[in-house]
Amino acid sequence: MQKKYRIVGTSEPRIESIAKVTGMAKYTTDIFMPGMVYGKILRSPYAHARVTGIDVSEAKKVPGVLGILTFKDIPNVLYNCSGTPPSGLVIKDERILTNKPKYVGDKVAAVVAQSEKTCDEALKKIKVDYELLPSIFKIEEALAKGAPLVHSSLFKTNICSSFRVEEGNVEQGLKKSDYIFEETSRTQGVQTIAMETTGCVCHYTYDNRIIVWGTTQNPHHDRRILADLTGLSENRIRVVKPVMGGTFGVRQQLHHQPIGIFLSKLVRRPVKMIYDREEEMYASVIRHPSLIKVRVGVSREGKILAFHIKVYVNTGGYATQGPILLPSMSKKMQYKVPHYLFEGFCVYTNAPVAGSMRGFGNTQLNFARETIINEICEKMGWDPIDFRLKNHLQVGDKIPSLNDEVQSCKIEECAQGANNIKNILEKERCSQDTQIFNNPAIKRAWGISFGNHGSGISGRDQAAAVVLVNDDGTVKLLVGSPDIGQGSDTILAQIVAEELGLETTQMVTTVSADTEYTPYDNGTFSSRQAYVGGNAVLKAAQDCKNTIMEQLSLLYGVEAKKVYFVDGKYVVNTPRGEECLTFAEVIHKASFGVGGRVFIGRADYKPSTSPMPFAVCIAEVEVNLDSGEIKVPNVIMAIDSGTIINPCIVEGQVQGGVSMGVGYALYETMRMDPKFKRPLESDLLSYKVQFAVDSPRIHVCLVDSYEPTGPYGAKSVGELTTVPVAAAIVHGIYKATGYWVRELPVISNLKF
Amino acid sequence: MIEEKNFVNITVNGIKYQENVSPNLTLLKFLREDLGLTGTKEGCGNGQCGACTVIMDGKAVNSCLVLAVQANGSHVETIEGIGTPDKLHPLQKAFIKEGAVQCGFCTPGMIMSAKVLLDKKNNPEEEEIREALSGNLCRCTGYVKIVQAVKRAADYYKKKKKNSSL
Repeated sequence: MQKKYRIVGTSEPRIESIAKVTGMAKYTTDIFMPGMVYGKILRSPYAHARVTGIDVSEAKKVPGVLGILTFKDIPNVLYNCSGTPPSGLVIKDERILTNKPKYVGDKVAAVVAQSEKTCDEALKKIKVDYELLPSIFKIEEALAKGAPLVHSSLFKTNICSSFRVEEGNVEQGLKKSDYIFEETSRTQGVQTIAMETTGCVCHYTYDNRIIVWGTTQNPHHDRRILADLTGLSENRIRVVKPVMGGTFGVRQQLHHQPIGIFLSKLVRRPVKMIYDREEEMYASVIRHPSLIKVRVGVSREGKILAFHIKVYVNTGGYATQGPILLPSMSKKMQYKVPHYLFEGFCVYTNAPVAGSMRGFGNTQLNFARETIINEICEKMGWDPIDFRLKNHLQVGDKIPSLNDEVQSCKIEECAQGANNIKNILEKERCSQDTQIFNNPAIKRAWGISFGNHGSGISGRDQAAAVVLVNDDGTVKLLVGSPDIGQGSDTILAQIVAEELGLETTQMVTTVSADTEYTPYDNGTFSSRQAYVGGNAVLKAAQDCKNTIMEQLSLLYGVEAKKVYFVDGKYVVNTPRGEECLTFAEVIHKASFGVGGRVFIGRADYKPSTSPMPFAVCIAEVEVNLDSGEIKVPNVIMAIDSGTIINPCIVEGQVQGGVSMGVGYALYETMRMDPKFKRPLESDLLSYKVQFAVDSPRIHVCLVDSYEPTGPYGAKSVGELTTVPVAAAIVHGIYKATGYWVRELPVISNLKF
Repeated sequence: MIEEKNFVNITVNGIKYQENVSPNLTLLKFLREDLGLTGTKEGCGNGQCGACTVIMDGKAVNSCLVLAVQANGSHVETIEGIGTPDKLHPLQKAFIKEGAVQCGFCTPGMIMSAKVLLDKKNNPEEEEIREALSGNLCRCTGYVKIVQAVKRAADYYKKKKKNSSL
């Protein structure tokens, strides 16, 4: 393949690598500052209750306790923690501290003290009287007639939000179909298990300013909500994101920053509050459990004519992102479907609160959709790849229920790429282990699924970037969407280096994010950094370059058209001949002295579309029919993410996403103990996450593609990679056992 | 109540420390809060994730499960002790080169576990690498690039050994 760019497309090491491998990177938990004290939260042990009495007098006497807050001491206002742009869909239903807890872990009181240990002692001495209220955990329970209402003061039902979109007429489409297939599937709640637990350090200063250092994906939305809650204006609130140890969606919501701020207001000192792992397990948001009913009509020739998806998602005690999740799910149809109906319902229960997590509804939807497609193909004797390709969206096709057209799609190349890897693996296998072949109880099979996602919020997204040129020809890039571990600081720096003609990415310092310095940005979610953020950064770099070229034409006294940018160099066509300058030379020449200038590039960007990246996933499943043991030895993932800005970073995204998808498919789950009505999974022993020995071999194929609206042709990657894994594994299990798993995780629902 | 303190003598990264510590202070907290060595991370506090792995007398341990008093008289190595930005350890170099670092929170513990393996054996099989890292949780990478990085570091080890024998 011909190399198109100097820096885009190369596996530059992450710009923060050295700090991370030497232990020098400072995460929220590593912040220690003069005068700093600690805070902890008293959480409800009951899933649904009313606080009838609360006595903090004994707790206040614990030496070292500086202050205690209950719901009585805090503004009694409703808010929504979601870090999304303001929207009519958002439901304000939660309080900073509550007297009516709606899930196990709901926040009832908080302590600020000299040490974490003192906080713990004080928490034990707060006496709370609870009146228990009837609690519900499952979608069906919440929908049943006469079900207890979770938010009786806001809704007369447990359905807090619904969304419907139809294109064509699904009933007519089904009538026209030769075959109709129908199925119901269920998915479980899972935790993101970011390695760094949720945390913040909040400082309410004597001059009535607030600084929050903490785990966040969207500092600007945090600032807006915190301004609402505290009554301070946004210019008095600063939200800073230190280095972050993963998040995968869980910090797209405010967590306990509001409590930290009010605790700090009591003492006017920085208050550090870090979740322990148990708190993280039941009190941070999970992926929405779902109940999905699908009806599909197909023609004799194998064309999909109608697709009806009816989804219920369990949002737990609060709505958070639920109402936004539904329309987002509806936009993920990657097949040409003339009659398409999506109906979604967001349901309150007293289960753990759901929120953003990698895939944002698409993981659940993809499992249901791709599984029924596999069933159709198995029943009809159709090849599952051919069937999908025949029905897949192509360039120029309109996406069902949207006005957007597909502008890039290399799905066939993905299918080919994945299949080639599978063939190689099978060939290698033939020459190896005959032992497994000799055991008749062990069955091996490959399963397949396709996947897609978006690149940012379609229609409502926005980002901005500022490029500041230093004296020596290095650059500082300011962006408001945080690097959360995925590598956006590096790939955005690559875009700047490419566009301005810097020699390496290491000459760019990316600052992300600090509301005091970085421009407004929607934040890090919806796989939007490379595409939405990348376009803003590209425009800002171009703005900077335009100023530089303008300055060069003035400096040399030539017309603007005589200044070019070729192969990363600035070329001036002077009467004495051509002069070729590096970026550093230009800056040296054009910055100082008479007529010198300061070079700044700025841009904001609003995308008109949210291009779909595509994936083909082939998973190998090995089932021991005697013991029931299931292994996934190999997972192949071929993706079309447009131009790959940094292959190494993208491969890492795919491998990590696949690993998360395998856990989701097989064994990760947050279950409620029916007797004690609290989550069973409270640590990393009970909640199974893959270690290196459990992890499948993951094979990645990056397909050559180009998205015309993307920066240098790039689309998204992060969430896409988790989406199709479960359906491929479940297909493999069917082929090995003849049994369709209709409910995730596989391990809890295996009945062959 | 006045808390009883114990006198300990612990060598960390070659430097001797003599401190009075509470009997229930973990080695993790001693390193992070008393010595300010925050490179060692806490991911769970229960010995289930390995983010706090350090090397104590040649063995990889979860420092959240070791009390500072138990480390009395021991030699402890942390991520800060094995390399610096100017002189990276082969494992640190390999982790960067292979793209084995994403969020980086598991990285210090992962590198310390890998170091114990490579200090003993510079040509491990893939299964041995995976086994050696199986107390260390990573949620970002799917372990692929981490395993590759340890293999690459093993090559550096071998070359170093070869050079030193020349």
